[in-house]
Amino acid sequence: MASKVFGGEVAIGVFAFQGERAAASDWSPVIRYLNKALPEHRFRLDQYDAEGLRRAIAGAQVDLVITNPGYYVTMEAEFGISRIATLDTEDSNPARALGSVVLARANQTDLRVLADLAGKRVAAVAPEAFGGYLVVAREMLGEGVDAESDLKELRFVGLPMKRIVEAVLRGEVDAGIVRACLPEQMAKQGQFRLEDFRVLSGRQDPDLPCALSTRLYPNWPLAVTRQTDSVLAKAVARALLAMPESDGMSWVVPADYQPVHDLFRELRIGPYAYLRENTPEGLIRRFWPWLVGLLAILTAWIIHTVRVEHQVHRRTAELRESLSARDQAEEKMRESQEQMEHLSRLSVLGELSGNLAHELNQPLTTIGTYARTVLRRQESGDLTPEAVTEASTEIAREAERAGGIVQRIRHFARKRLATREPVSLAEIAEEARRLIVGMLARAPEVVIESHLAANCKVLADGAQIQQVFLNLLKNAIDANRDLPVERQNLRIVIEPLDNRVAVHVIDHGVGLNAEQFPRLFEPFFTTKPDGLGLGLPICKTIIEAHGGRLWAEPNQDAPGMCFSFSLPCHELSA
Amino acid sequence: MNYQPEACIVHVVDDDPGLRRSLRFLLDSVGWTVQLHASAEEFLDVVVPPTQPCCLLLDIRMPSMSGLELQQVLRERGITLPILFMTGHADVSMAVQAMKSGAIDFIEKPFNDQKVLDAVAAAIRQSAEAVDETGRRRAAQAMLTQFSPREREVAHQVAQGLPNKQIATNLNISEKTVHIHRQHVMEKAGVSSAAELARLMLRANPAALD
Repeated sequence: MASKVFGGEVAIGVFAFQGERAAASDWSPVIRYLNKALPEHRFRLDQYDAEGLRRAIAGAQVDLVITNPGYYVTMEAEFGISRIATLDTEDSNPARALGSVVLARANQTDLRVLADLAGKRVAAVAPEAFGGYLVVAREMLGEGVDAESDLKELRFVGLPMKRIVEAVLRGEVDAGIVRACLPEQMAKQGQFRLEDFRVLSGRQDPDLPCALSTRLYPNWPLAVTRQTDSVLAKAVARALLAMPESDGMSWVVPADYQPVHDLFRELRIGPYAYLRENTPEGLIRRFWPWLVGLLAILTAWIIHTVRVEHQVHRRTAELRESLSARDQAEEKMRESQEQMEHLSRLSVLGELSGNLAHELNQPLTTIGTYARTVLRRQESGDLTPEAVTEASTEIAREAERAGGIVQRIRHFARKRLATREPVSLAEIAEEARRLIVGMLARAPEVVIESHLAANCKVLADGAQIQQVFLNLLKNAIDANRDLPVERQNLRIVIEPLDNRVAVHVIDHGVGLNAEQFPRLFEPFFTTKPDGLGLGLPICKTIIEAHGGRLWAEPNQDAPGMCFSFSLPCHELSA
Repeated sequence: MNYQPEACIVHVVDDDPGLRRSLRFLLDSVGWTVQLHASAEEFLDVVVPPTQPCCLLLDIRMPSMSGLELQQVLRERGITLPILFMTGHADVSMAVQAMKSGAIDFIEKPFNDQKVLDAVAAAIRQSAEAVDETGRRRAAQAMLTQFSPREREVAHQVAQGLPNKQIATNLNISEKTVHIHRQHVMEKAGVSSAAELARLMLRANPAALD
């Protein structure tokens, strides 16, 4: 519309607060000058409030825009308007021309810096006012006070700014935000004395010789829209830069508005309002440096994980290998332990073998006697049927008995796998006693005392436990062979011990000397000329494999030794 | 020597019932009377000094009282009977000890039946002799009790081979009185010579005739 009309009217949209009609006169020198400098155009000044100017720009109803730095940055982001000149007011640097001051009454000594405003009442111009609010809001945020949430009250009183100063003076608010240099102007006009006020977070700046609470920002820009004709834009820019100061205001090349962008970003408003949004897009825009970092970390983590996974895989394979090697070793060990156990059984058997002959002698003698007597009687003719019956019956019985002995030896000597079943210690002790007494020529008396309830059993391998009994009995008998008969007698005591069962094999012999005692359970240590030295170590292994303990001690008040072992009780119901 | 096998007792002491019974079966077959005992103690309960031929077949190794101990007890009680020990091959040292203590033989298990029978027969023979000897001594002693005190004095000196004259002097009696006593003694003892009387009196052992 307007842009198409070259040589026609040019609308200049000016940002003015609602109700601020005075703005027209403020910018009249520019209109006058442009109309004079570019006579082929007719420049017109249209005043808008924030929303009105936005709609005007959107609807291309304006060709040029004059606005404050804050609103400019917003429109620049939204509609791509582009500054072509920055206002240059008297005695100031255009790039550092705007600042704000926060005033409080001089007697409010508790207010020294902006941070002190937390929980106070503060007056400002409007939420979108640049010098009248935003500039100070940024500084407050820098000092840790969020103007929107940390104040007791944030009162927007609009323009003119004089109202703010008056509100402060009347004590309606604790502090007020106004454009820098305004207090000095008002004081000059005699409206109040500067001494009545104190400046919060006051600072000095050579570019702006006024009381100041904030950093400085560039002055108002004049901008073109995307629709503005470039020739017109160029002409206007040239004209403005050439505008003499004598005509009331002058313009310079456009300043850098980055400080304003920074302000908006920090306050998360205008173009940076998305920083407040929690939409994925907003979050991404807000946190992209973090996201990049996170992505980098994630990537590193994935690489690391893959690497670790690979290593774990490799190590697992290695571990599995070593585990199977260990299994094999254990298997081997178990085998050799079984072998050793078997060996020890055989060695006990070997030691007993002399006496096994004796054991077998009884039935063999009996059988032989019967058989020959039958022959003898037959010869002499007095072999009655009754005699044949008697002889045959006895021969069969004794043959069975001999077979039983052989069976027992074979059973004892056979290699076997470990089992666990409830067994009665008293029964095993009795069996062991029978075996050893049956095998020995001069077996001493072995008394078994069981103080256990009949139903008390241990979970064990009966044959292994029997072997322990045999070993302990055999050792005791061997050790005391040369003693008088009454001292050779042995006692087996079985009794409950806490929640276990203890077995004591007690002899009344000479015991062990100080050199022998500590080596008792050492493999291959033996006191017997033909001993293997494996009996006790194997007993110990067996008992420990059953969760028990094997130990030896001299008798308390009598000569001799006491070998004991304990086993966990399976069902101890006393 | 003159005895019937049935009158001879063979005692068997062994803790093994099968072996015991087999020995009875064997010894029965040749006619001995057999008595079985399961332990040394059981045998001691019934044993008395033998009045007829007998012997003891004794297991050297038994659970409570051993054969050797039984032998000891019998000796202490003055009961003499021939003991045959039965041993296993590992019991040689015990067998030697048994022999030293007066056993007459030992039989090793497993044994030959003939050897058992021979050993038993020998033991019975020895026992029979001992029993005969005991019987004769008892008879002689019984005979001595028939003498009056004076007759015993005369008999003692006759058995020592002294002439009547010497005896009369020793006893301070007449030679004729000695002669009468001497005739009574010979009649009561049933002997015809001084030598026979001497043997009889030695058998009864009146101080072995000094």
